[in-house]
Amino acid sequence: MAYPMQIALQNASSPLMEELLHFHDHALMVILLISTSVFYMITMTLTTKLTHINATDAPITETVWTILPSIILVTIALPSLQILYLMDEINNPFLTIKALGHQWYWSYEYTDYKDLSFDSYMILTKELKNGHFRLLEVDHRMIVPTKSPIRILVSAEDVLHSWAVPSLGVKIDAVPGRLNQTTISTHLPGLFYGQCSEICGANHSFMPIVIEAVPISHFEDWSWATTQ
Amino acid sequence: MSALLPKPRMRGLLNRRLKFHLAGLLLFSGGFAAWHKFGVSEPRKRAYEEFYKNYDAVKEFEAMRETGVFESVQPTKP
Repeated sequence: MAYPMQIALQNASSPLMEELLHFHDHALMVILLISTSVFYMITMTLTTKLTHINATDAPITETVWTILPSIILVTIALPSLQILYLMDEINNPFLTIKALGHQWYWSYEYTDYKDLSFDSYMILTKELKNGHFRLLEVDHRMIVPTKSPIRILVSAEDVLHSWAVPSLGVKIDAVPGRLNQTTISTHLPGLFYGQCSEICGANHSFMPIVIEAVPISHFEDWSWATTQ
Repeated sequence: MSALLPKPRMRGLLNRRLKFHLAGLLLFSGGFAAWHKFGVSEPRKRAYEEFYKNYDAVKEFEAMRETGVFESVQPTKP
């Protein structure tokens, strides 16, 4: 989850997010390469009185500064496309959960089970228990099994929302009248926090998402107990 | 009098500067990129590999369970 003074991305809790982290490092390296080159060149240009009095024709320079950027773009695009298609792979999800955005809470429907749906409201600051995180805790968490691909269908009942969990590498727009699909999978048990990521009114900042990942046997116990 | 001092270099000053600083540019920006790759990217990849090498999900889950952080499962010890 997020921590104070954080600058970089959150630690990855899913294989997809790990790939995204590594790609981000790769893209940042290219950005640093270009930025430091430009900084050096500008500094060198500004700190000399020497000049070329007849600089009207530079075919080699123009060729180099056309070909080189296109090579750089290809080195960024190839891993980017690889991850893009990895995200869309169909991997036989074990479970389908619908996440519906409302003003201003999320509701989750486990339609694979009979009568398993609930609303998820943020816990107010004055009602937090020790160890809880301000503006991040909810009264009913989305419980999921670990090591299982899970299909998430996201929509909204009123205005635009966005279902985002950074450590799982997920951000999906919740559009009224539309069903967006994504797949999540985590190998780690634990709690994963996210927040609504599309402006949706006065309490947009106060409708968080909490995923509780537990081993599948405990998930089955929970789903059975909840539907009784 | 003119024989006492060597004739100063009067041509190709910009070219000389450009060649010198082209090498400087490659070192500076290449060094930065190499620092990021070998100081940030590669350690991060190794850190994730090391983390998952001996990771025991069941043991970690039981430890988390006993702290009482989960809503769906309660601690085994009161």
